[in-house]
Formats: sequence, structure tokens, C-alpha cells
Amino acid sequence: MTKETYLHDKHIQLKAKMVDFAGWSMPVQYTSIIEEHKTVRENVGLFDVSHMGEVFVSGKDSVEFLNKIVPQNISKLNYEKAVYCQLPNTKGGLIDDLIIYKLGINNYLIICNASRIDEDLNWMVRNKRGFDVKIDNQSHNYSLLAVQGPKAVLLMQKMGLNTNQESFTIKAAKIAGIKVLISRTGYTGEDGFEILVENEYSEFLWDKILEEGEEFGIKPIGLGARDTLRLEAALHLYGNDLDENTTPVEAGLSWSIPKDKKDDYNGKDVIMNQLQNGVEKRLVGLKMLDKSIARHGYDVYFNGEKIGIITSGAPSPTLGENIALAYVKNIENICTGTIVQVMIREKLHNAEVVKRPFVAKRNRIKL
Amino acid sequence: MSFTDKILCSKSHEYLLDNGDNTFTVGLTDYAIEQLGDIVFLELPEAGQEFKKGDTFATIESVKAASEIYLPISGKIIEVNEGLTEAPETLNEDCYENGWLVKIEATGDESEQADLMEYEDYKEELE
Repeated sequence: MTKETYLHDKHIQLKAKMVDFAGWSMPVQYTSIIEEHKTVRENVGLFDVSHMGEVFVSGKDSVEFLNKIVPQNISKLNYEKAVYCQLPNTKGGLIDDLIIYKLGINNYLIICNASRIDEDLNWMVRNKRGFDVKIDNQSHNYSLLAVQGPKAVLLMQKMGLNTNQESFTIKAAKIAGIKVLISRTGYTGEDGFEILVENEYSEFLWDKILEEGEEFGIKPIGLGARDTLRLEAALHLYGNDLDENTTPVEAGLSWSIPKDKKDDYNGKDVIMNQLQNGVEKRLVGLKMLDKSIARHGYDVYFNGEKIGIITSGAPSPTLGENIALAYVKNIENICTGTIVQVMIREKLHNAEVVKRPFVAKRNRIKL
Repeated sequence: MSFTDKILCSKSHEYLLDNGDNTFTVGLTDYAIEQLGDIVFLELPEAGQEFKKGDTFATIESVKAASEIYLPISGKIIEVNEGLTEAPETLNEDCYENGWLVKIEATGDESEQADLMEYEDYKEELE
């Protein structure tokens, strides 16, 4: 049975095209992916991402427990701060990627991928032995709205929010009289906010944001544009660019891993070894040199030899070019500017290795 | 008579327009285009190429995915709508008068059209 978010009726009213995503009926687009994409890059867009998981971790061993399951240093995470984390298995492969928020002493919120909630919970329960910790899956009680784009800050200010809030922080706030948790994070490469609200108020808040946002050109945005936006920002999509056979080092996430963390964590030996001695495959950005589009699963060649595989690929509406993420063999002569080939319908098409992100990120706009 | 009154449609959403003299115009229905969304890339065959009924003769890509297009009857390509590969977004505006894909000369017999539906029936089938 396909699950529906509390905003499902709103999507139907807005004539969204609905698709199945990780067992949820979700809007893929309302009008046009390209139009919606541009709305987020130029103005502001509203996303229903209520399918994502919310798991609360509490108890006196919360920090020790979280330190065991993620490579990041949760001891250093301050009150109301957020940190991008991964959930590695014992071989360093990724069960999920997530954001952990510190809500209080021994009180943490984990926001995880919809497709991975069950796996994440199983893994956490398996790892909690010996820790005095409570793992509370509240995914079914919360809706999550994302307000993203350069004008998100104007809209949130108009709605009474203190927009001095820093990037990667979370605060309890009231919007339109509704108690919410608001986080300055997103998955678009733009400045923006993610609003965690109890299900029963989500429809009211959705309508209110669209109404108040009208003067800023707000539009509802589907998962189609969410995908092209995150790809331009070179943000990983679990299931495409990350999986249980991929380590964070291979995925280009070394920047997120502290080198001095004392605590032991799952996969630490593999991850530390890769940080020191290098990896066999690594993530690169590609730009197609003709009009062809590389898609998930296509093979990548160099000097006639297969060296890798595309994990995400799409047209970039911002650049007007076709871009992709690929895992390639970590060989010396593949660097920025190298021309490789992508096999598309039995023909090789040239692509250039380019720097990530494809489109510069704008994490926080100050007023 | 509107364009859709004159066409036959396949279950895989191609249309066939009889131009007489054993030649036909082939394209994708408005339903197919609407389902695909923004069209960003089109790969068409070359004039002279021959295909059997059901063969993939072209590829269309929306922002999200690539899809194959099948020839509704056996035929030889006699004309390609060249302008479309430069401006694939034309298909989102008009997939009939301006957005046809290829013209073909039929190489099979009329019985190949037996599984094609009139537009009204095709629409009904979708519901």
C-alpha cells in the first residue's frame, strides 16, 4: 500500500503528477520540472518532504551511542547545531546519510532518507546494546516542509521568523501561530529553511506559506526539480550515489569526517585506512560535451577501457548543459579537464571531468 | 476534422497518420508528452533506414529519463522532422502539426494496423 503524506490532497488540488517514491505517493512535478527548478534558483519554492524520517535519540548515553554509529564527532556538536553525517556499516559502506541535530542535553534529532528508515532503525537497534539510549521513530507524526531559494529568507522574515539564524542550526519557533522546529538547511544548493511541523498543522502551514510567498513568486516544487537542484549542487542521492558498497571517502565526503575523533565507530578502520592510503574508486563530476544525457547505470570509458559508472545524470537547467556524477577508477590521469567517454545507446559520447558542485552553493543569505 | 480524428494510436503512445500513397506520419500522442514532461533531447533515425513494426526507431529524453519510441507499423524512413532535434521543446507545445517525428513508407501490409486504436478509443483505454 502506497503511503501518503498529510499534504497529499493539496498536491492533487494543485494537479501535481504523482509518482511512487520509496513507497510514498509524492508529487514529481506540478507544472514543469525546468520551470520549478528555475523558481528555486531565482525566487523561492515550497517542497513537501514529509516522507523523510525523523528519529529522536535520547538517554544518558546518547552522545556515546551516536559517536559509535557515525564518523562525525557528536561530542563537539553544540546546542541547536546540525551536522551532516553518514551511517556506515562495519565495512565503511553507507547504510544511509543523515543530518543530526542537537535539541538539548541527551536529546538529538536524526533526519534520514525515506527509503532507508527501516534499515536505519534496525541498524540503530542492533548497535544500542550496552548504551542507555532511547530510539524513538516519530516519522509518522511529523510533516517536513522545505522553503528554498534566494527569497526564502525574505518570506520567512515576513512570516515573523528571526532570519539571523545561522546555516546548519535548528530552533524552536512559531510560524503563523504554529509551533515548529525550523532548520536552516536544504537539499537544493540554495539558502533555505526546513520546517518540522506536527501533521495536523501541515496543511494550514502549506497554504499559509504559499499565500504569504506569492509576492516573492513562490511555487510548489516536486521531486523532479528537487533532483536536478541537488545534482547541480552535487549533493548525493542515497540509492544512486551512495549505497552499502560505497564508503564516504570514495563518495567525496572526506571533508565531513574528523581525522582526530578518538571514539571507535563502525567502519572506522576502513575509512581511516582509505583517508591515509587512498581509494580504488572515487566520485567525479562530468559535463557532457554534446547534447547527450548520461543516466544512472551508464558505463564510463577512458582510452577504450571501462573505468566506471554513472550514478546520477540529468540536464542542468541552470547551466544549459548535461551533467552527471560518476564513480571511476582512481587512476592518476583522471583529473579536472580530462575527457572521458560515456556509453549511451551503444555509442561513446565525450564528457569532461569538472569540479563539483556544478553550480555554486548559496548556503546563507544575510539580510 | 481535427488532427486527432485522423490518427491511429498504439498502446505505447505512438500515433500513425495515413497520408495516402502508402506513406504515413509517425509521432507521439499528447498523453505521452504530458506524461514525459519537459522534453530535452531527441534522437531520430536517418532517412532510408528500415524498421519492423515494434522496433525502436527513436529515443526521447525528458528531464527525468530516456524512453524508446517504437514504430507502430513496419516501414522505411522517408523524412525526418530535423528541426525537432534542435528544438525538442516544440513537442511540449505541439506534438501533432509541428511535432511529428518521421514520415515513413509502409513495408508491411494493412493487417499490421489491427492493434492500433482510434484516438477516442485510445483515450478511453487510458482511463
